[in-house]
Amino acid sequence: MNAETEKPPLGRRLALHVGLIAACLAIVLPLLWVLRVSFIPPQQSYSTDLLPGFSTENYQALLSGRFGRSYLNSIVVSLGSVLLALPFAAMTGYAFARFSTGGRFARFLMLATQMLPPVALVLPSFTLLKGLALTNSLTGLIIVYAAVNLPFLTWILMGFFKAIPVDLEWAALTDGATAWGAFWRIVLPVSLPGLAAAGVLGFILSWNEFLFALVLSGPSTQTIPVALAALQTSNGVQIGSVAAGVVLAVLPLVIASRFIQRFIVEGLTYGSVK
Amino acid sequence: MASIDLRSVSKLYPNGSYGVRDVDLRIENGEFVIFLGPSGCGKSTTLRMIAGLESISAGDLLIGERNMNRVAPRDRNVAVVFQSYALYPHMSVRANMGFGLKMRGASVQDIASKTEAAASLLGLSHLLDRKPAALSGGQRQRVALGRAIVREPDVFLLDEPLSNLDAQLRAEMRLELVKLHRRLGRTTIHVTHDQVEAMTMGDRICIMRDGQLIQAGRPLDVYADPVNLFVARFLASPAMNLLPMRLKDESGVLVIEGSDGFRFTMPQRHAAAYAARAGTTVILGLRPEDIYEAPQGARTQPFDLAVTAVEALGAEIIVLGTVGGGMEKPMEVTARLSRHAHVQVGETVRLHADLLPAHLFDPQSEQAIARPSIRGAA
Ligand SMILES: Nc1ncnc2c1ncn2[C@@H]1O[C@H](COP(=O)(O)OP(=O)(O)OP(=O)(O)O)[C@@H](O)[C@H]1O
Ligand SMILES: [Mg+2]
Repeated sequence: MNAETEKPPLGRRLALHVGLIAACLAIVLPLLWVLRVSFIPPQQSYSTDLLPGFSTENYQALLSGRFGRSYLNSIVVSLGSVLLALPFAAMTGYAFARFSTGGRFARFLMLATQMLPPVALVLPSFTLLKGLALTNSLTGLIIVYAAVNLPFLTWILMGFFKAIPVDLEWAALTDGATAWGAFWRIVLPVSLPGLAAAGVLGFILSWNEFLFALVLSGPSTQTIPVALAALQTSNGVQIGSVAAGVVLAVLPLVIASRFIQRFIVEGLTYGSVK
Repeated sequence: MASIDLRSVSKLYPNGSYGVRDVDLRIENGEFVIFLGPSGCGKSTTLRMIAGLESISAGDLLIGERNMNRVAPRDRNVAVVFQSYALYPHMSVRANMGFGLKMRGASVQDIASKTEAAASLLGLSHLLDRKPAALSGGQRQRVALGRAIVREPDVFLLDEPLSNLDAQLRAEMRLELVKLHRRLGRTTIHVTHDQVEAMTMGDRICIMRDGQLIQAGRPLDVYADPVNLFVARFLASPAMNLLPMRLKDESGVLVIEGSDGFRFTMPQRHAAAYAARAGTTVILGLRPEDIYEAPQGARTQPFDLAVTAVEALGAEIIVLGTVGGGMEKPMEVTARLSRHAHVQVGETVRLHADLLPAHLFDPQSEQAIARPSIRGAA
């Protein structure tokens, strides 16, 4: 009986695997196709052969244009907005997690901002930045991204802080720390995996953002999503360049997702409590 | 200079339940007090209020004659060993133990020497560079104790600090704690579920139930004169025998009777205190060690016990049995006999009870019926 539960009949196993493999292919094949297109000469982009040729021409063309600059912009904006948002998110999240700061209403308000469609926020943001002379600047984008991602990051960190046993903070308080000291010396180090996870998520959100970037950036402050969209010119889509751009754009996310896994698996409290 | 004064202190939690209710207790400077009580009775809550980690809903808390209701934890100079240890997971044992000194601005050498002294006292010297995750439960508990000790605070609040140690280590640490208290002379509250710790370590024990302080006193006083059935049941193991019986006045002599053959004459000394209860049902509280296998002069009175179980513990024998076979529901009696007693399951033995230390309780109010204590009077 045990053996039966361990190994379902061959037919079922086959069906299961065929299904799983099909699902995996559905996800992976487009990515592999993009990878393939990015490495074949642009003239043969639409060829039906498996590998009609190999060249790095697409990458060279892409990087000789403005794309290199966009790449740098994306890194600066994504990193900058995360570094700006995280301290605020950490402090707000902690206040929400430990104290009754703001009550239910504040919590609801924070979630409510996430329910608005981004389009509704684009024009006011534009007007604000224009008044501050920050349109067309990376600084402006950094501030807007930080603001837009703040509620989400706060919510994530609140969850992490709630999971930290309050005894740890109590121990620090009786040991002579101030409330701030307990937060800084105990809560933050203990929730480092959570901060890292939130940071990576915030980075990805900013990295992929298109709408705000389109409206708020100019030619010299374009980010990757905008630059990629710009490759769809009036004389057609430069499919080879787009593919190369997508591959380059996905690269940091692949690396980031490795990290996020490690941090989350590392766990929260390392066995501080019985 | 740190007496602790709890004046009608209550803790009402936001969910509407009381953690602690109207506790009045004064702990003198340097006193070692034991908190004892069933799970959820408010021991930890009381400690948290003294440490300043939980707000006080009503009443006043004074430490060293100074009102502390609104004083921050770090300004109370109180050290806590938490029930959960609460070691800082990202710090080494050394850093954990030194954290309090560091927060108070001690010098690096000072921190190092005090940490090492405490570590060697607790047998942790070889573990100083480990992280808490790499320690056993008992080792973590000792680190938590060490973290409190190094600071030499005015007040120690120890929430079950020995609960996770093996029997031998527990006995050693018990002695260490008592020695430490004698050396430092700091006011100490020690929460425990352990009868031996409760009876031997403290100057006083405080027994709590449902957030209330039921009885506080010297351990042997509380043991000898429990104020109600709860304390009688709770303190000591095996617990006091509590037997519903009728008190009768038989031509000037007070007699207490369960059923045929199970009846005793009340000691002359208590007759005056109990006379008013003649003709009512009371609960006789008789400790297992006040039952002997042989008569102890005129003090003891015989009865027959049908033995149902025998637990030989080495130094002594715990005998369980029933009395009053004639009744539909025989009463259970536990006796604690010397290891020389010969008792076997299934037989009926004649035992001898000393009624002088026994108490009578009111079955309705569950309070002990007042009588003069026999302690001290010899
Ligand atoms: N934050 C809280 N909110 C509501 N009720 C609480 C809270 N903390 C404790 N209580 C309640 O207060 C009562 C006392 O709890 P406390 O932790 O002081 O018990 P304890 O005597 O330490 O028990 P144990 O021996 O199990 O540690 C319990 O009934 C508990 O459920
Ligand atoms: Mg407790």
